[in-house]
Amino acid sequence: MNRVRFMAETHNNESKHHHRDYGIQTPGTKGVPGTKRYAMAIDLRKCIGCMSCVVACKAEFGTPLGVWRTWVKTADKGAYPNTTRVFMPRLCNHCDYPICVRNCPTQATYKHEDGFVLQRYNRCIGCRTCIVACPYNARHLVPEKRTDGNLPTLVVDKCTFCIHRVKKGLLPSCVQTCVGGARIFGDMNDPESEIAKLLAKEKVTVLKPSLGTEPAVFYIGGDFEIMSENKSYSNRTTQLKEEFNTFKRQHPGDAFGDIVEGESTMYWVKKNMVDFVAEIPHKASGVGKIIKKLIFG
Amino acid sequence: MDESVIISNAFHHAPWGTPITIYFWLVGASAGSFVISSFGWVFGIKRYKPLALTASVMAIFLLMIVPVLLIWDLGQPWRFFYLMLPGYWHSTAPMAWGSILILSYPVSMMVYSVFVIKGNVTWARITGILAIVLALSTHWYTGVVMELNPGRFINHTALAPLLFLTGAFISGIGGLLLVLWVQNFFRAAEKRISWTLMSEMAQYMMYGIVFDIFLLWLEFMQTLYGNEGEYMGHDVVLMNLFSFPYIWLEAVIGLFIPLLLLVSPIKHNKVVILAASAMVAFGVYGMRIWWVMGGQFIQTFY
Repeated sequence: MNRVRFMAETHNNESKHHHRDYGIQTPGTKGVPGTKRYAMAIDLRKCIGCMSCVVACKAEFGTPLGVWRTWVKTADKGAYPNTTRVFMPRLCNHCDYPICVRNCPTQATYKHEDGFVLQRYNRCIGCRTCIVACPYNARHLVPEKRTDGNLPTLVVDKCTFCIHRVKKGLLPSCVQTCVGGARIFGDMNDPESEIAKLLAKEKVTVLKPSLGTEPAVFYIGGDFEIMSENKSYSNRTTQLKEEFNTFKRQHPGDAFGDIVEGESTMYWVKKNMVDFVAEIPHKASGVGKIIKKLIFG
Repeated sequence: MDESVIISNAFHHAPWGTPITIYFWLVGASAGSFVISSFGWVFGIKRYKPLALTASVMAIFLLMIVPVLLIWDLGQPWRFFYLMLPGYWHSTAPMAWGSILILSYPVSMMVYSVFVIKGNVTWARITGILAIVLALSTHWYTGVVMELNPGRFINHTALAPLLFLTGAFISGIGGLLLVLWVQNFFRAAEKRISWTLMSEMAQYMMYGIVFDIFLLWLEFMQTLYGNEGEYMGHDVVLMNLFSFPYIWLEAVIGLFIPLLLLVSPIKHNKVVILAASAMVAFGVYGMRIWWVMGGQFIQTFY
């Protein structure tokens, strides 16, 4: 008996105590009859690395520079002349048991009954606990500067599975725009849906299955070389390593804990603190403006 | 078959930085200092009564710095009170537990200090017991806030709260010994804290160091013999990028040299006690660095 079936059966027997339904999250609904469970399957055999999903997502949400709701990881495999290039689109896994939800201190992030893991900006204090909790690096703090000044800043953001589109019968923007048809989205609990049929037919895998988060993003044709967290660090090209270091140097951010490889760790520990202190007057002026607005209107 | 090489990926920041490492250190030193304060009024060891107020005030002072670090570290500083608001407070979140503890711990210490000043033995004991439970809980929380993230391999260990509490005990004593030494310059001769007592505290610190080394060894073994992620943390983070705070600052400067000093024949020497105290207090901060910033490092590349 697989895990999904086990959970479905225990649910049917009303043995809800087996579920880790702590926090403001609905219990896991994968394979539970009578419920919806939106999920995404990504057929890596069809992905051509055109990045149109990334662009569509950026356009849909006005996602600022330097942060991503979805991105495509790329790797080169083999040695000349036997080489291939593999791609792996990444996004929030909309886990059935999301660690970010149970760890959010202000109930800003929650799990929708249809499986979406969502963020409430008006509750988010920007403590970044959910980013620490997420094993998939799927969350980010929105930078202070963004093109549309009406959109929230300095709160945590993430992929929403385009719930605003899905609820109107549309597909998520990254799925809609995928030229290779690699991204398949739908209700995996509906046996007639494309995704349910695909999940029943194909061999699929998820990221970090041992953590018990029950991700709702499934990969078909996944390659260990690109899915491994450790290889993502150790097998980077020198150019990518330098790009990342440059990015860290140029985006000190809001007291982040970045360390640049090849430079003194203690220098960066000190630099983080200096950046933090330097930002206090700016943040204080922001607080002052809000208090003034509250009092004087 | 040649291994693949990653040629493009998104960049991610490590979300928590130096302010959080300092906050963890401050809460620990505060809790350690308060434990010593409670020796006289809670546990009835009379020779510790003269230093109870100094230790308690030091614990309160260290904790007063914490809100500055925590509130200004938020993306939305003016929303800090959401952490305590009914309807917002999230019972399953370790940070929500911490917000209550950080609020109640200094208040309980202040009430305890008032009764110490008044010399009210009964109420000092009652409030002292409450404050010591809160002191330990507050620092326990700093251990679990990162521990309860299964994706953070270095942090996801049940040893975390013990590592933090032991570090708190020794850094608190170390810091307090330095404060008492300075304070003695400004006190009348008959009110000075004796070196015999300070030497005794240094020996308590020594026992704490031995236990901390034991815990560090357990953690070392777990990462060395651990799964892929734990080993990566051991190899890349602890033994390489964060080797200065891990090996040199924490283990060598913070634990082994002070241990050698405090078991040597010159262990009662003033200079030796003060040097060991300073090294321990400083060295424990090394643990806070690798724990917070090292624990986040690998995953930023995923």
